[in-house]
Amino acid sequence: MVNSNANALGIIFPNSYDSYVSELVSERLMASIPFGGRYRMVDFVLSSMVTSGIDNISILVRNNYHSLMDHLGSGREWDLTRKNGGLSIFPPYSEKGMKVYAGRVDGLASILDTLKDQKEKYVVMADSNIAVNFDFKAMLDAHIASGADITVAYAKEEIPEAMINNNDFSNLYFTFKLEDNRVKKIYINSKEAGVQNLSMNIYIMERELLINEITTAFVRGHVYFERDILAPKTDKLNIQAYEFTGYKARISGMKSYFEENMKLLNDENLDGLFGANPIYTKVRDDNPTRYIAGSKGKNVLVADGCVIEGEIENCILFRGVKVAKGAKVKNCVLMQDTVVGEGANIEYVITDKNVTISAGKELHGTDTFQVFVAKGQTV
Amino acid sequence: MAKEMIAMLLAGGQGSRLYALTQKLAKPAVPFGGKYRIIDFPLSNCVNSGIDTVGILTQYQPMLLNEYIGNGQPWDLDRLYGGVHVLPPYQKASGSDWYKGTANAIYQNIPFIERYNPEYVIILSGDQICKQDYSDFLRFHKEKNAEFSVAVMEVPWEEASRFGLMVADENDKITEFQEKPKNPKSNLASMGIYIFNWDILKKYLEEDEADPNSENDFGNNIIPNLLKDGRNMYAYHFDGYWKDVGTISSLWEANMEVMDPEHSGIDLFDENWKIYSRNSGMTGHNIGENATVENSMITDGCRVDGNVKHSILFAGVKVEAGAEVEDAVVMGGSVIKAGAVVKHCIVAENVVIGENAIVGAMPAGDEKGVATVGPGVVVGPNAKIGPNAMVSKNVEGGEEQW
Repeated sequence: MVNSNANALGIIFPNSYDSYVSELVSERLMASIPFGGRYRMVDFVLSSMVTSGIDNISILVRNNYHSLMDHLGSGREWDLTRKNGGLSIFPPYSEKGMKVYAGRVDGLASILDTLKDQKEKYVVMADSNIAVNFDFKAMLDAHIASGADITVAYAKEEIPEAMINNNDFSNLYFTFKLEDNRVKKIYINSKEAGVQNLSMNIYIMERELLINEITTAFVRGHVYFERDILAPKTDKLNIQAYEFTGYKARISGMKSYFEENMKLLNDENLDGLFGANPIYTKVRDDNPTRYIAGSKGKNVLVADGCVIEGEIENCILFRGVKVAKGAKVKNCVLMQDTVVGEGANIEYVITDKNVTISAGKELHGTDTFQVFVAKGQTV
Repeated sequence: MAKEMIAMLLAGGQGSRLYALTQKLAKPAVPFGGKYRIIDFPLSNCVNSGIDTVGILTQYQPMLLNEYIGNGQPWDLDRLYGGVHVLPPYQKASGSDWYKGTANAIYQNIPFIERYNPEYVIILSGDQICKQDYSDFLRFHKEKNAEFSVAVMEVPWEEASRFGLMVADENDKITEFQEKPKNPKSNLASMGIYIFNWDILKKYLEEDEADPNSENDFGNNIIPNLLKDGRNMYAYHFDGYWKDVGTISSLWEANMEVMDPEHSGIDLFDENWKIYSRNSGMTGHNIGENATVENSMITDGCRVDGNVKHSILFAGVKVEAGAEVEDAVVMGGSVIKAGAVVKHCIVAENVVIGENAIVGAMPAGDEKGVATVGPGVVVGPNAKIGPNAMVSKNVEGGEEQW
């Protein structure tokens, strides 16, 4: 068979690190958090898989996943409406005595039969808390060339403070001690200062190996793939580290959510995230954005469907935002269909979907602490 | 199951009066309004009116149109039974024919229509900007117990002789048809949109085909024949926005009107009557630190570092620092380099306007030409394109074209 695709299937964990941004996930999950003007976090890893030739992708949802199902639909926008493979969403499978999965091990155990039925030789696993234009094919090639059992992507960076200070114990993050790219030791929730080899939680391995490891670990009651399978076996398993040096936006808290959005106002960063391969998302069929006489726009990233009558500066505006006459919006991230009323003045504000800032209202956060207005609220 | 009404969309027109813009694409595929193509309007009208079966008759430069329509998914016209179908002329056992006229194009596709066994067929034109509810037109057609209805617009009397005119009585029954007459008896201009009872249409298409002297045209042959036979023919008054964008200046004007929906009546922002299109998929547009954007429409993927005033930028347009864009229509992927001045003009897709080049000019006195730069053209630095120029080949740096 002619095969222009990667011989790998994809698995995405959309709930990973939900509690880093508890404000944003009260009615959604990490994967469906709006990001970068017209995207949801899942669009990045999903599109990257598709443009890397992976067309059989499973999403293991855990909770709060209605918004994600609505966003993904049949997967058509990502070209994943396929007879073979395509997009599969696995909701928790309720059985007597079975709880919603806690870690990757019990999550994967719940789809073990499906995994066994697939044809692809390799499995690519990823979370959705990092917006990145990632070349999975290059990583797969490196994995095959190195002869590793498992390859894991990492970046050299400081551990974000928000991750160190997060006290939800279920949010594990990992740093590596490396020797010639081989992972010799995996540190869990390290508080080490300075640049570390911080895992991006992107894994490639043979499907057979994954099935065997998960089967054994699940029987033993293990939960976390990294803590319970990888960390104890760094000597037995050849785990290769694959350094990612490109642009990425890691969401580790509300502050980083704001900052990572704002960074996209810089052309270089925008090209870094969107330049390589297209990032697909759900189409809304909005009209182009309209700047009405008297409006002002300065250093902004604005999606289609907005109507700007007031002044906007240093802002990210998602689709369908309306800024009325005389309103001033500065250093803000305004999600879909936010309405800023006439004469309102807001600064350092993050609004969730469908928020209304009433006419004449003043709302100010600071550069280190932004005011957040929850979905559908009127100020 | 039979369909109540299906649509046949005439999209074969060359649009020769758009010159540079239609050298390589059919007129219905010409970009419009920031992120649309002209054909998005009739297609979206169909879907919004509940018509789920559309045959698109293509002939001239169909490649881009075929690609654009694809399986019809952006218009929700990818259907198991029905949906959108591109119908080019084809070879038959008895030879092959180009579409000889509008009526002949439909005649050659009678088998397509019969597959759906519709009661009514609506004939649409692929070169108009119009938001129209065809279901209201059909309601009228049924109420009048008509065999043929035509949508008409009232036009100013002094312009009436440019149009095909319907003379109708107080019950809207058509009594006479005048094609571009010197002495108009009516100011009801045909919009080229017809509803036929299918049995009537079929009969007249077959008779027309058998007539060796016919031009096989709806306006010149079919409608006069219906009149001659005293058929039940009615004129449906449409008073919304309608524009035939057949010329450079009307295309430019219609684009400008999109930016002023409050006055022009063409509202692309209407949630209840969306115009669908194949989306660029680009990221949001970027307005730079020193840019100014005034009274304009900007689409996804644009990067604006210069000054944009009363203009439409399509997806992925770049306006570099110090460049000036005013009263301009700049289509997808074009780049306006630093210091260039682009005014009162249409710049087609993927054009590069070099540094400090000048394209077009604001109207002065009697001079109000709309300069046009065709798709893919590279205009060199410091070149000058006059307000009446129509450029379809690259222009060297420093050169002038008028």
